[in-house]
Amino acid sequence: MLVQVLKKYGGIFWAITKASAIAEIEFRLNFVMKIINDIFWYAAQIFTFEVLFRHTNLIGDWNLQQTRVFLGVLFIVDAFYMTFIQENLDRFSEKVRKGELDLLLTKPVNSQFMITFARISVSCIGNLIIASSWFIWSLSQLPDFNWTKALWIFLLVPAGFSVMYGIRFSIAALAVVFVRVDSMQYVWYQIYRLGMRPDSIYMPWLKFILLTIIPVGLIASVPARAVLDPPEFWVIAWSVTAGPLIVWFSTWFWKQCLLRYQSSSS
Amino acid sequence: MSFTAFYKRNLGFYKLAIASNLEYRLNFFMDAMLQPSITSIVEMVLWMAIFKGAQATTIGGFEQNYYLAYALWATFIARATVNWTYEFKMIEEIDQGTINGLLVRPMNYYEYYLSQLLGYKSITTGFSLLFPVVIILSTQLPTDWSRFPAAMLLVFYYLFFVYSISFCIASLAFFFNKVNSLTVTKNLAMWLLTGELFPLDLMPEAIRKVFLLMPFSSGVYVPVGFLTGRIGWDALWQGFISVTLGILFFSVLGALLWRKGMKAYVGTGA
Repeated sequence: MLVQVLKKYGGIFWAITKASAIAEIEFRLNFVMKIINDIFWYAAQIFTFEVLFRHTNLIGDWNLQQTRVFLGVLFIVDAFYMTFIQENLDRFSEKVRKGELDLLLTKPVNSQFMITFARISVSCIGNLIIASSWFIWSLSQLPDFNWTKALWIFLLVPAGFSVMYGIRFSIAALAVVFVRVDSMQYVWYQIYRLGMRPDSIYMPWLKFILLTIIPVGLIASVPARAVLDPPEFWVIAWSVTAGPLIVWFSTWFWKQCLLRYQSSSS
Repeated sequence: MSFTAFYKRNLGFYKLAIASNLEYRLNFFMDAMLQPSITSIVEMVLWMAIFKGAQATTIGGFEQNYYLAYALWATFIARATVNWTYEFKMIEEIDQGTINGLLVRPMNYYEYYLSQLLGYKSITTGFSLLFPVVIILSTQLPTDWSRFPAAMLLVFYYLFFVYSISFCIASLAFFFNKVNSLTVTKNLAMWLLTGELFPLDLMPEAIRKVFLLMPFSSGVYVPVGFLTGRIGWDALWQGFISVTLGILFFSVLGALLWRKGMKAYVGTGA
């Protein structure tokens, strides 16, 4: 039964990926510019810290080499986000307003799945290569680095990504109830911005909030810390638990929102 | 064309932008206040951490308070000098052919969105600047209030430069489908070139000189640096001159692209 379900959704996912690739390559200038934009974004983040570290040895409790690793983790999680989710959830509010959600709800597939993966940004797949390359290079710059510690990434990046997805989807789901929630998108990006800086720069109370109540600290800071510092097992355990928990919450919340949905197109 | 008609028409566009932006108040509040407030708080916290890590009283010749004031003002001024909304609208209209409805009206497409951009920026900037003003007044972070009008004048003048670039990018939609990514590229480049990320004086000298010569630095670094006492009147004048040259360059380019675009454009079906 589970195999059949996985097969079905795997097939849908593959079909979406193919259709997205064809659609994106159709507009070549746009496709190239999207890749350039992402490189620009990475460059801006790297450049900022490289310039700042010309004037200090530590930011929070990390030096330049360690901050580069943090950026590598951030880039990897962000690459997944950009490839699979960003465009779909950013446009979700508009879809609800235009009544496109009705059509989607009538399909014999999980609506959350379809909303999340409606379109794959194929141009962003290159981001994953760039991000992973940067991450590996940054690790190679660490003196006496124990490479087995890098394996934490395989556990904690999916966990961080799940946290990111769960929060973002829950915010997007509000569109079903309130219809015009473009502003909530801004809120998400500001929350995310808090996670785009090493958590050690924050005051202890704020850091606690960013690890628990609004857990954006789990997106990049915790995975980077597991690779760089002696592992704090309670933080890792919390990160691994929080990811699925938030995704489960997003599903529950989506169902609650659907109960209040009044079709826009009818 | 009489000046009165021109003035009345553009005042109408200006008011239209204010009214439509105030229509969704929560959206307006998030856009004008919440978003830049959180950003500035994150940036200020980062600067505190940098000073703590550096264990120094000054960085690049300035104390921590100067950086906090810069981070606070820079976020809000950067929001005032960036153009996403109207650029996307223009591109979409050209792309989808809905521009036809505007072309047949007795007005100029260029002024239609310029006046709207100015209206939108007036209302959001006027409202959002309350936050840094209150913080600066209550924390005594370095700000020379006597320089405020001149700094704001440069910010306002810079909007014409930003709009000229937007018009050029939007005009490219006559020739290419989906040029939205160019807007993102431009704004990402400006993010770095304006000094929004960090004060440009922290850059290596050679790069800093080049950045200061370009008009982009007048989007954030020059007005904020001038307001917070990092730079003097000479840099401000230099800012006005480079922005003027930038406006001239992109206006000519925009006019050429528009003319060519109108010849190539076939507005069928819209």
